[in-house]
Amino acid sequence: MKKEEIVKEFKKLLVEVVDVDENKITGDAHFFKDIGIDSLKAIEITVAIERRFKINVRDEQIPQITTLNQAVSAIEKALQEKNA
Amino acid sequence: MRKKRVVITGVGPISSIGMGQEAFWNGLLNNQDHIREHKEYIGKELWETFRYHKIENFDIHQFGIDRDKLKRIKDWKEGEENEDLNYLLASVKLALDDGKIKNTNDYRIGLVLAHENIGLMPFGLKISGLAYDMLIGKSAQVLGKKDFYAVFYEQFIKSGYDVQGFPNLFHVTQTFDIKNFSLFVNNACASGLYAMETASQIIKNDQSDIVITAVSDHSDIYKYVWFKEIGIYSEKGYMSPFSKNADGILIGDGAAGVMLEDYEHAQKRGAFIYAEYLGGGFDLENWKITVPQIGSQSYQSAIKKALQQSSVAVKDIDVLCAHGVGKKTIDGYESKAITDVFGKNPKDLAITAFKGYLGHTLGASALLETIIILLMMKNNKIIASKNCEDVDPQHHLRLVEKTKECQIKTVMKICCPFAGFNAAVLLKKG
Repeated sequence: MKKEEIVKEFKKLLVEVVDVDENKITGDAHFFKDIGIDSLKAIEITVAIERRFKINVRDEQIPQITTLNQAVSAIEKALQEKNA
Repeated sequence: MRKKRVVITGVGPISSIGMGQEAFWNGLLNNQDHIREHKEYIGKELWETFRYHKIENFDIHQFGIDRDKLKRIKDWKEGEENEDLNYLLASVKLALDDGKIKNTNDYRIGLVLAHENIGLMPFGLKISGLAYDMLIGKSAQVLGKKDFYAVFYEQFIKSGYDVQGFPNLFHVTQTFDIKNFSLFVNNACASGLYAMETASQIIKNDQSDIVITAVSDHSDIYKYVWFKEIGIYSEKGYMSPFSKNADGILIGDGAAGVMLEDYEHAQKRGAFIYAEYLGGGFDLENWKITVPQIGSQSYQSAIKKALQQSSVAVKDIDVLCAHGVGKKTIDGYESKAITDVFGKNPKDLAITAFKGYLGHTLGASALLETIIILLMMKNNKIIASKNCEDVDPQHHLRLVEKTKECQIKTVMKICCPFAGFNAAVLLKKG
């Protein structure tokens, strides 16, 4: 899956899970500080990421996913590992 | 065949605020917590400093356990002490004494032990020390790989085996001469609730008339380091579940022994009955070890299954004892499950959380808190939720703020532990 597709899919997913304005989701916008996502919603996003991309996000990675760029990078890495 | 009812006829609490029923209850009434700062040294070097709820002056010989039996354990362990096991032994003895069981051979008694990570600390420290000595002493290079493996095995074999459940089960059944169906269970912090359900099923299947359940946890550096690493250890130094300032857990020493018994058997021998064990509900998330699956309905499902198993309606529950770990995400997950089933700010339900007194005693926590419930029923009092006066409004819950007189009939104990082994059990005063 190409990076652009991952970004597009992730944004779609984010809008579905947290009902956020898509224009607010820029690469470095912080989920907690800039988009108003709380720590519970952040975990719910991980649940959705795993389902949508059929990957495993490790427990310790979950708190580290706080921006779109971090999420996309984690998804890319997991997809690469899965397909290796 | 008649459907057996299962009741609770003995309790044995071991905690940082008191050992034995009376001391434990007084500790709760006096709002104690017994938090101490611990400095962990390796040789002369300080590794970590942390606060925890500490049991002090514990002596396994003070509980009236047969000294020859204790000597057998010491012989097997070549003198090495294991407080996880000692706490289990003490809690079983207290529960047997409280249940007025003098000679275990007079009854059909089974045992269900539980622990989250038994023997990990002595094992870990020993293996770390050995590896360090061998590497510094260059023994590894001199010995060669095969001999290094052989020496390593020989040196830590006893501690290694004791990390498993069965030797501990053996030590306890041998000490108290328990001969019926016995089991070691491990379902993280919900272990105590799984142990009670297992005990209930053993009795209902007529394998035993009495089953002792016992759980323990001795605080140690490894647990602290792990919890700190994953960001769930309280920086402020005390637990305040569901509160605005909740920032995580403190670990705590603790153990609990609870004796379950066939109702007719208990009646026949004139035993004091704390409560009836109505049933449990269990639901597994199958998602992560350390993170709850926010958005799932698993915890709600465990609660609903318990209600169904027990044929109890939501409106009939007087008290709900939450897991209450004081970590925002887990508190949020728990409060969502509670309000989904009981409604927001439920008016007729008293909600409690007890880890402010005891810390998080991990595998021991659910059963130790169940003992608080049983003592509340016995003493017609409800115990305040320590450090929970300023509840975060996002939880839509009110917790019991003051210890007060209260007639308690039906109580639910719930738990959302690591690995998503969600559990709920119901107890009813006769």
